[in-house]
Parts: sequence; C-alpha cells; structure tokens
Amino acid sequence: MTISIWRYSHLALAVSSFMFILLASITGIILAFQPISEQFEPYKISDFNSVTVAETISNLQDKYPEVIAVQVDANQFVSASVITNNGESLNGYINPRTATFIGDKIEVSKFFQWITNFHRSLFLKSIGRFFVGFCSFLLFLIAVSGTVLILKRQGGLKSFFSKIVKENFNQYWHVALGRLSLIPIIIITVTGVYLSAIKFDILPKSAINHQIDFDSLLETPKLNTADFSVFKNTKLSEVKTIEFPFSQDVEDYFIVSLKNKEIIVNQFSGAVLSEINYPLVTIFSNLSLFLHTGKGSVLWSVILAIATVNILFFIYSGFAMTLKRRKSKLKNKYKKDACKYVILVGSENGSTLPFANQLKEQLLKAGETVYIAELNKYNAYSKAEHIIVMTATYGEGEAPANANVFLQRLKTIKQVQGINYSVVGFGSLAYPDFCKFAIDVDNALALQFKQELPVFTINDKSVESFQEWISLWNKNRNLPITISQQKLAAKPKLNHTITVVDKTIAETQLDRTFLITLKTNTNKFNSGDLLAIYPENNYRERLYSIGKVNNNIQLSVKLHENGLGSGFLNTITKEAIFKARIIKNKSFHFPKKASKVILIANGTGIAPFLGMIDENKNKAETHLYYGVRKRESLNLYNQSIKENLNNKQLTKLNIAFSQEEPKQYVQDLLKQDALFIAETLKNNGVIMLCGSTAMQNDVLAILNTITTQNLQLPLSTFKENNQIKTDCY
Amino acid sequence: MKAIKTLLVLGVLAISTLSFTTVTESTSYKCMIQMINYSGENAYVVISLINPEGEYEKTLYVQGDDDEWYHDISEWWKFYGKKRANIDAITGATIAGGARNISVLEIEDSKIDTGYSIRFETAVEDQDYYTKDVEFALTKENVKSKKEGSGFIRYVRMMPN
Repeated sequence: MTISIWRYSHLALAVSSFMFILLASITGIILAFQPISEQFEPYKISDFNSVTVAETISNLQDKYPEVIAVQVDANQFVSASVITNNGESLNGYINPRTATFIGDKIEVSKFFQWITNFHRSLFLKSIGRFFVGFCSFLLFLIAVSGTVLILKRQGGLKSFFSKIVKENFNQYWHVALGRLSLIPIIIITVTGVYLSAIKFDILPKSAINHQIDFDSLLETPKLNTADFSVFKNTKLSEVKTIEFPFSQDVEDYFIVSLKNKEIIVNQFSGAVLSEINYPLVTIFSNLSLFLHTGKGSVLWSVILAIATVNILFFIYSGFAMTLKRRKSKLKNKYKKDACKYVILVGSENGSTLPFANQLKEQLLKAGETVYIAELNKYNAYSKAEHIIVMTATYGEGEAPANANVFLQRLKTIKQVQGINYSVVGFGSLAYPDFCKFAIDVDNALALQFKQELPVFTINDKSVESFQEWISLWNKNRNLPITISQQKLAAKPKLNHTITVVDKTIAETQLDRTFLITLKTNTNKFNSGDLLAIYPENNYRERLYSIGKVNNNIQLSVKLHENGLGSGFLNTITKEAIFKARIIKNKSFHFPKKASKVILIANGTGIAPFLGMIDENKNKAETHLYYGVRKRESLNLYNQSIKENLNNKQLTKLNIAFSQEEPKQYVQDLLKQDALFIAETLKNNGVIMLCGSTAMQNDVLAILNTITTQNLQLPLSTFKENNQIKTDCY
Repeated sequence: MKAIKTLLVLGVLAISTLSFTTVTESTSYKCMIQMINYSGENAYVVISLINPEGEYEKTLYVQGDDDEWYHDISEWWKFYGKKRANIDAITGATIAGGARNISVLEIEDSKIDTGYSIRFETAVEDQDYYTKDVEFALTKENVKSKKEGSGFIRYVRMMPN
C-alpha cells in the first residue's frame, strides 16, 4: 500500500494545525496540575464511601435553621450552602458525618482561570472555541494517521509493540512515544471535540423535564428526613448535588442529582415523585469532562500531562525529521535524456540521499553526464548507458516511500538501448530483512539489463563500505571517482567501553595473525555480532566478527601492512581502554535448534566460530571445516579446539592446508563430503560461512553443485529457508 | 499628667469604636431563579440593589464567575466596572437554560419599604442582554413572593429567612 498518502496527510495536518496544538498543549500541561493540587487538600473524610444521604441531611438540618444545597465534587469533597442561627449565609466544605464546617470553598486561582480560558477559546470567544475544537479534531486525525504509519513501519498489528530499529534520536522517540501515548492522545482529542460540540449546540438537547402532578401531593405521612428510605438507601458518594426545598410548601421538594439520574423527593413523606435517567448526551458529557480534565484523579491527570508533553515533543521531532528530509532534495544539471549515467534513489527518510548526491557530484566532476531521480520517477532514458540504484529497505523487506511503484514502472517502461546496472543496498543488520528490497530490485533489473556488479550492501551508512563499492565500480568503469568522506560521515555513537584482557603477538606468528581478548561493559552480545572500532576516532570504521569466549570478546586479527584496524589493535597493550560499538548481526547467530551445524571458515574467519563452539554447552552436533596455509597457522587455536573436541562441543574437525601437501582448499574438503553436506541440508541442518569473499564465492558455488546434484534443488532454496548463513569480507 | 494621657487615649478609643460600628440590621433572603428553556451558553445573572432614584447602589449577587464577560452586562458594568468592589463572596456559577438556582442575598432592613428595588439582569454569550429581566420594589409583601421574568428568567421567588 502507498505509505506516502498517510505520511503526507500526517505532515499536512501537523503543518496546518501545529500553532494551535502547541498553544493548547502548553496550557493543557499547566492545567493538569490544577486537579492534582486540589486532590491534596484535606477535605475528603476517610470513610466517605459509607456515609448515607440521610445521615448528612439530618445532621445539616439539626445544625442549621436553613439548608439550601449540598454538593459533592469530583474530589469527593462535600460542600454545603446554609444559613446559620445568626442569619448569616455560609458556603464551604463540611464533614458529612458531623455537618461541621471544615474550610472555605477552593477558589480556582485567577491564573488557572486565565489559562483555562486561553486553553478553550484563545480569548477569541466563540470563534476561538471553534478553532480549538477543530484543531482537536485535526490532532485526532494526526494520531490516526500516525497509528497507520507505525503499523506499516512495524509490519502489521502483531508486531505493533515489537522493537523499533533506531535510525536516529528523533525518528526513534517519535515512534516509541507515539505508540505509548496513542491512547491518551486519542482520548484527549475525542473528548476535546465532544466538549466543543456541546458548546455549539450540535448535540441533541439534554434537558430533563420532571412531570409532577401537584394536585396529588400529600403532606402525610409526615416522616423525619432521616427516615426517608430513599435517603437511607443512597450513599453520599453517588450524589452530585442535593437541592433542598425552597419553602415549607408541599409543592417545593428535594431535587437530588445522582451520578446517573435525577430524582425528586417529597419533603414531608419522602416519596419519590419523579425519577429520570440522564440522557446519553449528559453521561457522555460528564465522562468527557472527567477524561479531558482528569478532575478527581491524580493518576489520570499525570497521564494526561505526560501525554501532552509528548505532543510537544512530537511537534519538535516531527518537524526536525521533515526538515532533514527536505534538505536532501534532488537537483539535476542535465536533462534526463542527455545523460550517460542515471542514479535512482530509494529512501524512506532521506538518509540515502547524501550518498547518491555525492556520487552524482563526483561523476559531474569527472566530466560525465549524470541524472538523478527517485526510483518512483523511473522513466525512459534515451542516452543512458548505466543505471545505478541506491536504495534502502523499509519495514519487512518492503520498498521505501519513494520507491514503492518502481517495480511496476520498470515492467511498463521500456528502454531502447542496452544498459548496464549496479545496485547498492543501504540498511541495518539489526533488521531481519537486511537490504531485501535492494535484492528484489536487482532481480527485477536482471530481467532487462546487464548486471555490472552484484548487489552491494552497506550497513549503518558506513562510508567505508561505500568507498569500497566505489573502488570496485571505478575499476570496472575505468573512472577516477573519490568520495568526500567528511560530507557523508556522521560521528558514530560509541556506547561500549572495552578493556584489553589478553593479546598474543602477531610478529612471531607465521601469518602475522593474533588473538585479542577484550572485556566489555555489557553482556548483551553473541558470537557472530560485529565489533566496530574507530582507530582514528573519526568516521573511519573497522568491523570485526566477534567470538564470545568466557563472556569476553575474542577477535582473530591478521596484521596488515599499514592496516588501520589491525595496526591499532596490534599496538594497544594489555589493560588499555578504548571506546567501540557492538553491531547486532542477527542473521549470523548460532542456530538455537538445528539437527546439525556445519561451520566453514578460512584464516581469521574462525573467530566467531571459536565463540560459538565455546558456547555450545548443549553439545549440538557441530562440524568445522577450516582452511589455513600451513600447519603452524593452527598454533593459535590448537589448544581450545582440542579441548572442545574432547568435551564434544565440537563433533568433528576437517582441515585443509593450502601450502602443504596435499595442497587443498576448504572447498575440496566439501567436495569430498558432498553426501554428508546434502544430508545435513535435507534434514534442516544449518551451514555457516565466515572468511574471505573469494572463499565465499567458491564455497557457495560448490554447495550449489552439491544440492542440485544430490537433492535436485538449487542452493537458493536453502538460503531462503535460512539454512545458509554467511559473514564474509 | 499620666492620668490625663490615659484619659485621652481612652477617649480617642471610645470615639473611634462608636463611629465605626454603624449598626446596620440586615436580613438574609433565599432567592430562587428559574430559567426558561433556551439553548446555548449558560446565562450570567446579576442581582443589584437600586436606589429610589433608579441608580445602582450595591451588587447583591453575581451568577457567573468569569470576569472577562462582565463588561457584556453593560449597564451594570458602568456601575461596577469603575470601582470593582470585591464580590468574591457573592459570586456563583452561571445558570443553564431550564435550570434553577438558589442563592442567599443579604439586604439591609433599612432598604425595605423605602423606595428601593431589586434588579435581575441577564446576559447570554452571542444572544440577548436584558437589563431588567426582573425588577420589583423591595416591599415586605414582595420579598416573600414570586415574580415572572421577561427574558431568560421564567420567575424569581424570594423568601426572608
């Protein structure tokens, strides 16, 4: 479905009403404190719920010659208006058990009165009331469209409350708080609209008309007020107001307004003369007033205040996101039919655009003609030779907002000339469907055009990865493009403190490889997750696959000449402390339940597997295929592998030495064990791959041969079933 | 010397107490206002004491506690608006169409049967304003009677306490 209609409405509504909503929210937050402050007044008696109407009325009539009215407010404070023996009138709170006065009526302070007035009419009287009511309705629509957006983002009703992937502060909290304060905000807005509607006479009339036959009123039998059964059977807590008879005339009577009805009681006999239930309109009005103001409930007032503070935050974060999106607009120097290169961008919130714009600018600098457009604007490009798609993925593998009709347009719009294409996918490994849309686009493009480079995925907007792709592409195209890192790099958030526990020496090792053990301030990571380090404390990032051994991070690192990451890790000494970031890599965790697990690695790719085997306390059947250059290369791992073989956490080890007779690669071992591997996949076993990309490509090719020959199925079937997991570099 | 000083102080005290306790006997009256069935905002009702010359003398009660609307009750506002006497003790809530309300009015006994009258003026936001919705002379008979209204008030009943 088109997400853009909802997003557009959400924004348009917010833009058109935010000034009013802002004012109403600020005043609303202040007003929430009025009912709270009232609740702390000491006028409520402890056993209020057991007091009957008869008790209070007879107490009052005993104590004062004249009683005019009794009122019970939302705080369950009882007030009475009486005339004393001295002929003075008195109006204030009483103790309903003793009828003694305990305090003057709380005057709503001038300040709160002023704010209330502003809140409901902006001092514009009727016009203001209409505006406030209307904006309340708009806010309701904003809440509804926001709910739809959350549903789309989270991928359905079931995952409405599942984890939100954090892209940035504003986006994360806009969604997170939106979810939480959704219900209070909808209640505030609906009741706000209702309260305004009452003022404008839109709702049906709610007047109660008692029909009393005055001719048949009797002064007998005359009973004491305290003995009226209706008063004895009614608790004061059910009462809103009691109006006492105006005079001793039998035609004057008690009018008692209860929570749900109004009754009229003969002042002599105690007979109920009339009883009328409130119409629904009145009940809704009372409910709306309570829900909107929180009168009488500290808890609800606090909830309302918090929800309203959130509205302020939504205004801020919503506009911040919009401005950010606007900033990355697409501009072109050449017309679409004049360009050799076409860059197509798919982005949900604009974070992919700076990358695309950089590429465009650098191509222009190199003297090429480039056209850049959103994926949804896909069109015929008569001079295009190369299409580069740079796209993010939204929700559960869906297209982002500006790319949702691309696949359809691709089918209908035909290009005349032959075109090469490359796809770059942007995403986060924290999502289960990492870069899925980019892969879908690649598959769809393959039907019409020639693939120049396979899909290249970029995790967490990594500038480093993007550069890597650029260099691959440069090589293919013979172009001299360089990317300005400063423009793209956002300073990463380093939230983990790392202490070096142990480190072997690289220089004495045959492959200049070393093991480093690090301690972190968190336990929430798994073997297969990635450790991102920033050796120069800037945008340059290096990723290492983590092996979790004894709750520490264990990395296996090969020291490269002038290697940024390996050099850094090699120079730090024991007990040194540095900051880093752990990236969840859910798609490369050891399977929780699998009949068999086959681990395939070469070189330092063994690092995550060492952790997985160490953690395999359940002794799930695990086979390791490992390729190294020479026997000595194994020295680093020998001890732990032996231990694990002994205690059955590792079932079998198969090693290939590429520089010792018989010269073998890990692929060759797989070929030999083809039947075993086919069997494993058939029985829902899992194969995990870690190491160089060269090895990955070869291994995947061999696995594909094995499955097609032995199981008559392509390897992709098992990939889709999550039986093949890879993490290569 | 000392004795004279004491006498002087006592004398001043005596005079001042006498002059400030102007003994005014007053009676409280119950007053019930029954509104007609109109629709719209609640009504503001101002009850005033009118002197024999037909001018405002004192505000007895104000049904309506939001003073931003007071100037809409224009005749009374000309009297009240200048001085803004403190009327916190004699203000109540506005009265809805069809509703009734009972309040207690304090009226000095010297104002009965001496040409004074009582005035009820009413105003409703965006609707009419009645300067003399109900007005009648303060006589012993009238203060325990029922008077029909001409605007938003159906009738007013009064009763001495």
